[in-house]
Amino acid sequence: MKLFLSISSLCALLAMILLATGVPTNAHHASAPFYDDQKSVEAIGVVKEFVFRNPHAFLYVDEENDQGEIISWEIEMGAAVSMARRGWTPDTIKAGNQIRVVGPPSRAPGTFGICCAELTRPDGSPITFPGQRP
Amino acid sequence: MGQTDNHQGCKRFFYYPVITGLLILLVQGGPVPVGAQSGSGSDIPDLVGVWDGGGRARPVNGPNMPWTSDNFPVLNERALAYQEVFDEALAPKYDCVPSSSPALQYDPYFMDVVQWPDRVMFRYEKDDQLRTVWLDNRTPTPQDHTIQGFSVGRYEEGALVVETTHFLFDITGFDDYNGIPSSQLKKVTERYWREGEELRMTLTLEDPMFLREPAAYTTRWLPGPAGYKLQGYGCDPVQARRAVKFMIPKYR
Repeated sequence: MKLFLSISSLCALLAMILLATGVPTNAHHASAPFYDDQKSVEAIGVVKEFVFRNPHAFLYVDEENDQGEIISWEIEMGAAVSMARRGWTPDTIKAGNQIRVVGPPSRAPGTFGICCAELTRPDGSPITFPGQRP
Repeated sequence: MGQTDNHQGCKRFFYYPVITGLLILLVQGGPVPVGAQSGSGSDIPDLVGVWDGGGRARPVNGPNMPWTSDNFPVLNERALAYQEVFDEALAPKYDCVPSSSPALQYDPYFMDVVQWPDRVMFRYEKDDQLRTVWLDNRTPTPQDHTIQGFSVGRYEEGALVVETTHFLFDITGFDDYNGIPSSQLKKVTERYWREGEELRMTLTLEDPMFLREPAAYTTRWLPGPAGYKLQGYGCDPVQARRAVKFMIPKYR
């Protein structure tokens, strides 16, 4: 029973990691020309929209900076067809959710893109999505 | 009584052919049809099913995969010149134009294979692409120039051999990463065979307009999840181009 629970917990943890990581393992394009993987940025804000389409899903997050300005982040994720196989749906993340995003920033000055991001709650705890597969 | 007679008649009419058909399938060893294509029954591998070409099966594609330092083709001066001026923002994929051979086969998605007597159909989950490999010795017409080309095939020593010609010029027709085009002279030869539960393929690429010599890679697919049906892809051109603004432009 104990072993069963341990395996179940491990599976749940792996599923959570898979769900909480928007790594586009099925890349439609190389990330290097778009994002600087030698850097990492953090965005904490409110989900404005989650667009669950192909070739890449995108998550839009508004963050208020120290000056009270709103920064609109665009987070590039994997292809919807591949994410769906891991349990994602268009409703996995909803507008209004608080979220923390960490990942490589976009290269072009004045843009606010993030790729291959780790998604968690603002305090860093994992997100458990409704409908999450065990 | 009349009803019973009719019922018996129906049984004879419907059941016997079904039983006979099942016996034939049993003798043939499965539902893979034997048809007009060359090769005996034992030459025909069972390729039918949904196959997983994702990260579970093989390293995911990139600038160094599947074309590594060991199999990267020798480019001629024309190809090098194109590569030099190539701007990633031009890549047709950002407008949902599908990738073609030899990149399509290595894209990390699922594909569905159907074998019929006169053709084999490869349906790719990415970009909803369908390739038909004709086994009936038909020849292409000038109207058969398409992005996926015109494919003919034959069974040979337990493998399906596919030869594809009649491609259109494709500015990223070599792969999605290295900015190398392919021409109307591109010829792609694929050899598919089974290794236990796996589907394997060796692809050989020739394109004298851009390559000094043929180049090849070998890869594999694993069986997809039981009962899985390919999803529609429905590439969204707005989403496809959305990240282009994140690049530092090569040209202004």
